[in-house]
Amino acid sequence: MTDAPFSPQDDDDLLAAEYVLGVLALPERLAAEARIKTDAAFAARVSAWIAHFAPLNEAYASVPVPPDLLPRIESRLFPKAAALQRSWRLWLAGAVTASVVGLGVLLLMPQSAPGVVIANLGTEGSALVYEARHDGTHLRVSRVTGNPAPEGQTHELWVIAPGAAPVSLGLLGSDPLDVEYPRPPQGWVLAVSVEPAGGSPTGAPTGPVILTAEL
Amino acid sequence: MIQTETCLLLERVARQDRAAFRDLYHHAGPKLMGVLLRILGTRSEAEDALQEVFTRVWLRAGRFDPSRGAGMTWLVALTRNHAIDRLRARKPEQNDDDAAALIADSAPRAETRLIAQGEARRVSECFDTLEPARAEAVRGAYLDGLSYEALATRHGIPLNTMRTWLRRSLLKLKECLEQ
Repeated sequence: MTDAPFSPQDDDDLLAAEYVLGVLALPERLAAEARIKTDAAFAARVSAWIAHFAPLNEAYASVPVPPDLLPRIESRLFPKAAALQRSWRLWLAGAVTASVVGLGVLLLMPQSAPGVVIANLGTEGSALVYEARHDGTHLRVSRVTGNPAPEGQTHELWVIAPGAAPVSLGLLGSDPLDVEYPRPPQGWVLAVSVEPAGGSPTGAPTGPVILTAEL
Repeated sequence: MIQTETCLLLERVARQDRAAFRDLYHHAGPKLMGVLLRILGTRSEAEDALQEVFTRVWLRAGRFDPSRGAGMTWLVALTRNHAIDRLRARKPEQNDDDAAALIADSAPRAETRLIAQGEARRVSECFDTLEPARAEAVRGAYLDGLSYEALATRHGIPLNTMRTWLRRSLLKLKECLEQ
């Protein structure tokens, strides 16, 4: 059999198919992977082949998963939540009791008051303080002391339910952050981390957590 | 329907919902474990890989776009990718043949399990336009994650012939699928 050349379009398409099949040797495979990230047309060809071959997935049998694997995955993924909770507990136990008392007083204020302060991130005398307010439907977080993150970085706000991973509420730039969000219940934590411009690339805090406050 | 449930769970995982992550593990874990076991061949490596796969699912769920395909398709693609990366990174002396030998006899049964409807039927029909040995080569490459080298060994033909063979079959498949 002769090895007649394929057209350039066919070549691209075949490379995409070979990548999806998995037949390529490691160097070619890595080259194809790099191309997916930079070449949208090639990435679309790869997606098309994934869809073409998807019906073959039926042939994969389901196999019971060992029961101890999920806890191992979770402890690997969520150590930050645990560490963060420990750190704010220490923080609470430390020199900031006074502000917690202040927070307690604020929590006793009528819930109907518009934009009630629900947390202060940072203490009196801190170089950086954010104030979190809630008006019944929106959470509004504004900087009351200090400067925004330097160029190339941003502050990112996270909410952490007890025992859960941090969930991003958005980026804290020059303007206050205003998001529609239910009022976080008592025991939840708000935290601010330093992230690359544009926010955490992973969906979890990647930079140092600089401020926390329990609600 | 299963696909819809997977999509909903993935969308919740993208919002960092840990309960949804747990549900997704129980819902999709067995299927993904099946993929890993078939491609990697040993339970210990498959379990190790499953941890890595679910770590990636947590980190990348935000990139899942339900308008571009089913949730389970996305999960299986991510899983196959990781398994094949592991295979290709193995040292040559412990290459794909072990895994291939373990599952070689299951290939014909796999074929009969294809759902004969919609896209699945279409793919099945297009595979039928290929010579049986070539259809089996494409299917084997996909399901078992075989490299060109392993395929050539399995079919007892030179590497370059295998490559030409497979590329021609893929082109034919594509023409059929896009008709």
